[in-house]
Amino acid sequence: MSRADDRLIFERLLQPHLDRLYRLAWRLAGQKAEAEDLFQELLVKLFGKLDQLAAIEEPGPWLGRVMYNLFIDERRRFARQRLHTVGEGALSGDGLAGLPGPDDPAAEQDLAEKRERLGNALEQLSDEHRIVVLLHDAEGYKLNEIRDLTGTPVGTLKSRLHRARARLRDILESDGTFF
Amino acid sequence: MRDEQLHEGHGDAKDGEILALLKDLPVPPAADGFYGRALGRAVLEGRRRQRRRWIYSGFGAAVAAGLAAWVAIGVLWNVPNPGTPEAHIPGVTIALEQPRTVNLVFSSATPLDDASLTVNLPDGVELAGFPGQRVITWETSLKAGRNLLPLTLIAVSPAGGQLLARLEHDHRDRSFRLQIAVSEDPPGAS
Repeated sequence: MSRADDRLIFERLLQPHLDRLYRLAWRLAGQKAEAEDLFQELLVKLFGKLDQLAAIEEPGPWLGRVMYNLFIDERRRFARQRLHTVGEGALSGDGLAGLPGPDDPAAEQDLAEKRERLGNALEQLSDEHRIVVLLHDAEGYKLNEIRDLTGTPVGTLKSRLHRARARLRDILESDGTFF
Repeated sequence: MRDEQLHEGHGDAKDGEILALLKDLPVPPAADGFYGRALGRAVLEGRRRQRRRWIYSGFGAAVAAGLAAWVAIGVLWNVPNPGTPEAHIPGVTIALEQPRTVNLVFSSATPLDDASLTVNLPDGVELAGFPGQRVITWETSLKAGRNLLPLTLIAVSPAGGQLLARLEHDHRDRSFRLQIAVSEDPPGAS
């Protein structure tokens, strides 16, 4: 395989998976710079495994697993900065009722605030809880897909998901999002 | 299916709202051209790492075996430390990114059990098998007579510098220096 060929093959094999991998990097790392580093490092690692990649019929799950393992192996490097960015008086006290329509600026502002509070609440979860709730509830991964990705048994994932959701609710109730 | 049953009966409106928010929690799209740049960097960096792995591989070491330099070191505790600045410092020249085995020969009058050998590498010189590490320590024992320690060095920058090997045993220590010069010419080009 020539150098030009291996680049073309590498790009062709990965192209269909880039969006999903980028989203996964975001969910794992939590911030743009760290997500981009994780995504980049994954691609470098995959180039070294080009033969293996080419031999896999459906590489999607395998690619996700390689990224997850990379994240775990270098967690400190890709760890999110646990900064909380809620400003003084940011809490509107409107609760989560009545999700806004796109043409309502006030509602959009409200949604942005809720997302910010939800993001801060997610930051307070452990990595294990945060990752399972984001992959399952935000990305729509099934539990058996998360099991394949992380190597964690489904029973453990169910338990983590349950506790993560409960913890999120507790945090959002205590910060005034819920009354 | 989204395992909604995990709410175990208290899946009220608040839980529903949290789920709705999570489901819509955005991931900012990648910047224009980011994927293309990332793929390009991956290919370049991947090739560079492949090359380094090849350099560090057994093939590289085998090629280097015929190029070994020998540095004899006497482990005599009661003579001035040859590691002091005024002492003669042996030197070796290695080619950039070409592995070169330097055999450190420790001559000891007596056996030394539980000795500790620490090698400090200058910036830009690596030890094969220990990429990126500047300080490597071994626990070892020396027998009476000649003890051989082969170190396969690889210069990853042309700066060179001094390698410091420090042997410690029973609260005594000796340091040995090796001056490493780096040639940017391929072997045999001179």
